[in-house]
Amino acid sequence: MRPVAIIGTGQTRHSKRRDDVSQPELVREAAAAALADADLRPAEVDAILISNMELFEGRAFPELWAGAGAWAIGKPCLKIATGGTSGTSACIAAFHQVAAGCFDTVLVVGFEKHSEGHTQAGMALTDPYWDRSVAAGALGNFALSVCQYVQERGVSERQAAMVAVKARRNAAANPHAHLQLPDLTIEEVLASPVIAAPLRRLDMCPQSDGAAALVVAGEASARRRCRRPAWVKAAVTRHDKPYLGDLDRRLATMRTLRQAAAVAYRQAGIDDPVRDLDVAEIYEPVTYAELAWYEALGFCPDGEAGRLIEDGVTAMDGALPVNPSGGVLSTNPVGASGVIRVAEAALQLHGKGGARQVEGARRALATGYGVYAWSDVIVLESAA
Amino acid sequence: MSQPISVSHEMDLAWRYASGEAMERFCAGLTDGRIEALRCAACGLRYLPPRPFCGDCRARLTEWVAVGDEGKLEAWTEVQVPMLDAGTGRPRATPFAIGLVRLEGADTTLNHFLAETGAGRLRVGARVRARWRSERAGTMADIECFEVIG
Amino acid sequence: MNARHRRRPGVWLAGAGQTGPAAADSRSIPEMVLAAVEAALEDAALTFDDIDAVVTASVDLYDGLTASNLAVTEVVGAVMKPETRIAADGLCAALHGACQILAGAYETVLVVAHGKASMASFPELTTWAMDPVYLQPLGVDFETCAGLQAQALAAFDERAERRWAELAAERRRQAAGHGVAPPRTAEEVLASPIVASPVRREMVAPRADGACAMLLRQTPGGRGSPGGGQTGNRTRITGFGWDLAAHAPGDRDLEQWAGVGRACARAYQASGVVEPADSLHLLEPSCHYAHEEELFVRASGAGSGPCVSPTGGLFAGAIPVAAGLSRLIAADRWLRQRDEAGCALVHGSWGPIGQGQAVVILEAAA
Repeated sequence: MRPVAIIGTGQTRHSKRRDDVSQPELVREAAAAALADADLRPAEVDAILISNMELFEGRAFPELWAGAGAWAIGKPCLKIATGGTSGTSACIAAFHQVAAGCFDTVLVVGFEKHSEGHTQAGMALTDPYWDRSVAAGALGNFALSVCQYVQERGVSERQAAMVAVKARRNAAANPHAHLQLPDLTIEEVLASPVIAAPLRRLDMCPQSDGAAALVVAGEASARRRCRRPAWVKAAVTRHDKPYLGDLDRRLATMRTLRQAAAVAYRQAGIDDPVRDLDVAEIYEPVTYAELAWYEALGFCPDGEAGRLIEDGVTAMDGALPVNPSGGVLSTNPVGASGVIRVAEAALQLHGKGGARQVEGARRALATGYGVYAWSDVIVLESAA
Repeated sequence: MSQPISVSHEMDLAWRYASGEAMERFCAGLTDGRIEALRCAACGLRYLPPRPFCGDCRARLTEWVAVGDEGKLEAWTEVQVPMLDAGTGRPRATPFAIGLVRLEGADTTLNHFLAETGAGRLRVGARVRARWRSERAGTMADIECFEVIG
Repeated sequence: MNARHRRRPGVWLAGAGQTGPAAADSRSIPEMVLAAVEAALEDAALTFDDIDAVVTASVDLYDGLTASNLAVTEVVGAVMKPETRIAADGLCAALHGACQILAGAYETVLVVAHGKASMASFPELTTWAMDPVYLQPLGVDFETCAGLQAQALAAFDERAERRWAELAAERRRQAAGHGVAPPRTAEEVLASPIVASPVRREMVAPRADGACAMLLRQTPGGRGSPGGGQTGNRTRITGFGWDLAAHAPGDRDLEQWAGVGRACARAYQASGVVEPADSLHLLEPSCHYAHEEELFVRASGAGSGPCVSPTGGLFAGAIPVAAGLSRLIAADRWLRQRDEAGCALVHGSWGPIGQGQAVVILEAAA
């Protein structure tokens, strides 16, 4: 794929309810921030890609209405939706459209306004013949998968609680994050009520209103416009079978993430991710998933994820800080969450991380997770 | 800041979903208290739910195999928060337990309710059996839940 | 701000397959899609192993399924492969698949779109795509907007309705034999019930069920086909463009289809078409309403030269989401059965009175 780079990012203030904005205005807030960051005027954007799981808000074709927020009127604009991977999917689609030579600059905006919908109703629309009558949402699905994962890999709830603490404390340094709990302790996490065994309330991601945007540019434009473009070194997608029961032991095996990461690392020249990457923004809907992703992403051998978090390898001062933004555990507008991962990875390379900046970050990983086992893996790199 | 104006909408939509041949036969079997899976001739995987195609081998599935209504509990959880019940449109009473069951004769697991709640009886590896309803309509709800039998 | 104006290499349409259009397909969506995919693979002399990536098009609300592309993952061969889903007209999936190939990301991309109008109540579903604050509360749906546009067009044109009735009758006649609705005379069209004045029921392309699949390749021949890299009589996508217009009908000039004009301009630039009236032999627009066709022809700058919808266009059956891809398949067939070089303009649209559109230039060598 020809060289393309991310040259600017922007996010809204994510929160439980953004009653102060409509969906188009939420899109506008993120789009404007990304354009300002990229020093681009709206007229200079060649095309727009929107990421949104509109059924959660009870809508269809949301870009028809909300696209105006991204200055999409009169421009090429498409909407991408692939569950939780919608955001990373839309970013990858932008990479492809720019690398194809169609456009010099593409604006990607992911958004979700859960407070304006009924996410559970949306989530309940699964296969009507097979599992709709027993559907228990993302919570139920993850609880089942975590039950198996714990049995097999032996992670403890204390180790999971460490992930929760890391995420919410990191989020405190992120002005955009929804849940900011700078003084959260392991004990507090372990004291939070069990909502679906073994998951406790503080093990789960929230539902947030929010939007995130970024600007993808072709090589010439990127070099001209951006001091430190975040170049796309790899962008790999893998999907898997459609039923939860097809993916037995899915957290432990997560073959899509394993293969996507292996291919991405090869493309990006990464041999040892912990050594070769400077920062990672991974899509972790529950604490235990982050531990499973450590193994799937090759940060540690299978069975060692608990040790990795205990040793502080993925803390802000560790060898590979994971989710300086606070991750999905702190902020989760579904259509935006994938874009947030890529944006947060890119802004680290841009040196715009503020209080959450990983010093000298040059190589970043961003992942997307969706439905049961869909995976996107993106590697970004900036020049020295 | 002034009060936001909100416009509310209520959605009342219906869809007619075609079951497909495989699911049609599976559902007919449920009426008779029978469970069947489709086996891939190439990789041997026995699929529940039965479906037209093996995604790994990229081959049509044509071989039906019988599946028992007993098996192993591969995963379980007890949900404490009210979740929307797609059948009634109302929150489900809590706590309720669900599990992933690997029935004898199938290679995928089946997601269903569990009769017990409480970690006492529910454990990975427990033997479970389907509790069938006396009146059956050819849907997954013909199985009320799975009971731990060992 | 303009897109780069250099001519891009084409992307080959290696094979295509379709189910329907059918008035009501009793198969499930996976079964329907599998049939289309298998037909496309056979047409291309390719197998599932040859597919590097898949681009699908489906709409969750239309299918009554969250993450609706879940239902087709297995049958499009996307297990452990890259798949992306565009929730707009299926022609967008084709042009995005072309982008992926031009980007150097993949060599062979399967493009699939499906829809079953028989599953749910159209146009009621479309109210959920309208601005929920100003338009949806009024009960505005895509059909209402079509009425508004037709009303604006007919206001100072006494012969408009007659003209549309004759066009609808002609398209239905051309669709006879492969379409979902019986032919009607212009008088019968004019006597049919009003759906949104002055649009009458028989002026609306009949909705249908179906799935469309096609294989796009960087190089023409399938591995299995004799003579490998020869073109045979395959067609090539040489340009494409898409556009999103303003949403509220009141914000648009209803007497034009400006979005088509913009999308075509982008496609012409990419494919090197300078004078569409001279270059185009065929137009395959997605006109869901008879009155849209004259707007399309005008906006495309194609003039009266090219053949328009020779097999009836969407009046053979308008499959939700897959309509534009069905036009691409029709154009591919038409071009390939000629003995000479040809160039077609293919169009897909979505939203109220084609708020969004995609166009593709498809070319066949002599």
